[in-house]
Amino acid sequence: MSEHCPRCVSAETAQMHVGIENGQPLWTVWHCQTCAYTWRDSEPPESIDPQSRPAWAQLQGVDFDSLRQVIPPAGK
Amino acid sequence: MHTEKTVALSATARAVAARVGSLRDFLAFLGEQGQCVHWPDPVLPEPDIRNISVAAGNDATTGPAVVFDKIRGYPGKRIAINVHGSFGNLALLLGYPKTTPIRDLFHEIIRRWGSDKPLLERIAPEKAPVNENRLEKNINLYSLLPLYRINACDGGFYIAKACVVSRDPLEPDNFGKQNVGIYRIQVMGPDTFTLLSIPAHDMGRQMLMAEQHNKPLKVSIMIGNHPAMAMFAATPVGYDESEFAYASQMMGAPLRLTTAVNGTDILADSEMVIEGELLLNQREVEGPFGEFPGSYSGVRKVPLFRVTGVSHRNDPIFENIYIGKGWTEHDTLIGLNTSAPIYAQLKKDFPEVVAVNALYQHGLTGIIAVRNRFSGFAKSVAMRALGTPHGTMYLKNLIMVDDNVDPFDLNQVMWALSTRTRANDIIVIPNMPMVPIDPAAEVPGKGHRLIIDATSFMLPDNLGADPHLVDRPMGPEIDTLMQRLRELQEGGAQ
Repeated sequence: MSEHCPRCVSAETAQMHVGIENGQPLWTVWHCQTCAYTWRDSEPPESIDPQSRPAWAQLQGVDFDSLRQVIPPAGK
Repeated sequence: MHTEKTVALSATARAVAARVGSLRDFLAFLGEQGQCVHWPDPVLPEPDIRNISVAAGNDATTGPAVVFDKIRGYPGKRIAINVHGSFGNLALLLGYPKTTPIRDLFHEIIRRWGSDKPLLERIAPEKAPVNENRLEKNINLYSLLPLYRINACDGGFYIAKACVVSRDPLEPDNFGKQNVGIYRIQVMGPDTFTLLSIPAHDMGRQMLMAEQHNKPLKVSIMIGNHPAMAMFAATPVGYDESEFAYASQMMGAPLRLTTAVNGTDILADSEMVIEGELLLNQREVEGPFGEFPGSYSGVRKVPLFRVTGVSHRNDPIFENIYIGKGWTEHDTLIGLNTSAPIYAQLKKDFPEVVAVNALYQHGLTGIIAVRNRFSGFAKSVAMRALGTPHGTMYLKNLIMVDDNVDPFDLNQVMWALSTRTRANDIIVIPNMPMVPIDPAAEVPGKGHRLIIDATSFMLPDNLGADPHLVDRPMGPEIDTLMQRLRELQEGGAQ
C-alpha cells in the first residue's frame, strides 16, 4: 500500500513507520521520494490534504534542481 | 585563551549546579518547584503536542516544562517541551527564585561572564549513561524517536533543540575547534537527515571545508541535554573556543564529557546521541520550517547526512522546542545570551550603558538603557550597537532609553516612548544588511534600520514644557519590597 504525496502529488512514496496502539496499527508515517515531504496519515487536513493545504505550501510542477543551495556543493 | 579565574556563586546557585547534572535532574528539580508538569492524558503527535507547547510557552514568566509519556502510537516513548520556556525556569537553573525580574537574570549572566576556567570531567565511555544502549544496524529514526510536526506547514518532522557536536575536518584533534551548536535537523529517510547551516556559521564553515578538501565530517547530535548546554550552545563564542568549556563556566559546575564512537566529545548524561556523517556533495529538499521571526522559511537544497550509530539511555526523553510566531521557548532560550554579548561589547567603549534587552526575535528589536553623557549621546551608542557582531545582521529596531528605565520592563519602555520621543528625532538608515529570513526585508538580506531615541532631553535640546521629572523610588529597596509582596501573596512569609 502507498499514498500520494499531499505536497507534490507524486506516487513515489515510502512507508517509514507504523504507530501501534494496543497492538493495533494506529497511523503510518510516509515520506515522499520526490519532494522529501514527510507526513503521518492521522494529521489534520491542513497538513495532509492537498485541498486544505495553503497553495503556497504546494510543490506541484517545481523544478527541484533549481532550488536555492544554502551551502553550494564543492566545485559548483 | 582561558585562565583560572572563577566567579563566586551564591550557596543556592552552588547547590543547584551540584544537583543538576542532566535533563532528568533538571526536570525533577523543576517539578518540585511547580515548574514541570506531566501531561496526564493521551495525546496524538499532531496537533496535540504543538497546541500544548504553545499554551505552555505563552506564559513567559512562569510557564512550566511539560513531559508527555502517553503519546498515541508511540507506546513507552517520552517527549519534554518548554524546558527553557519561561524566565522562571531559567531563574531556577541560575539559583534564583522563579519570580526573579528578568533584569536581575541579565545581570547574573553578565556577572558569570567573568569566569573563564573550564570545568570538564571525563567519563569512560563504558560508564556513561548515554551508552546504556547502542545501535549500529537497522536504524530507523521514526521508530527510535517520537517525532512530530512542529508547525502545520513544516516540510517534515524536525529535531529542533539538539546540540550538534562536530570536529574541524582539517584539524580533527583540536578540542577548541570542535563546535557545538543548535541547528535545525529534518529527518528524511529512516537513517538520513538534513542539517541546516549557513556559510557564516561554524557548522557551515566545516561543511564547506569537508567538501572542498574531500574530508569526512562527523557529527554527534545530542538530544535531551544538561540545561546549560542548550542555553549556552546558542551563544556565539570564538571559532577556537569550546562551547563545552563555556557552558561549564557559566554553570560554575563540571560538565561530564565522554567520547562518542566517532571520536567527538559528547555529554555523558544526554538522553540520546545520534552519530552521523556528511554525505559529501549530496543535497536534499528541505523545509519549509516555521522560524523565529514567525514566518516559514522557504524550500531549499540542504546538505544530507547518514546515521552511523545511535546511543541512548534507557527510556530516553526526546526534548524538543516549539518555535514560530512569538512568544515561544526559542525566545526565552536564547534571549539573555543574545543580550549579554551586545552589552559587553558596548560597555567597553561606553560605560554609561547599563543594560541591553535584545530578547525579541533574536534581537530584531533591541532596547538599550544608557545615561546620556551629553545631548544626542544615545544615538552614537545606537550606531555603535549596529556595528557589534550581532547587531550587524540582527539589530533592526533600536529603542534607546534612559539609564533609570528598566529595558526589560515594557511598561517603563512605553513610558519612555510616550514622553521622551519626538517624531522628528528618529533615524531611519536605509539599505542595511538584514537577516535573510526577516520578512520585513525589502529583499532577502537587505532592508532598513530604525533608531528611536527615547532618552531624556538635555541642553542644548529644547527641554519642552514641565521638564522636571518625578523622582520615582527605585532600586534594591523597591525590589526587596516587591519580593516581600510576592511572598505575602503566596502566603510564604510572616
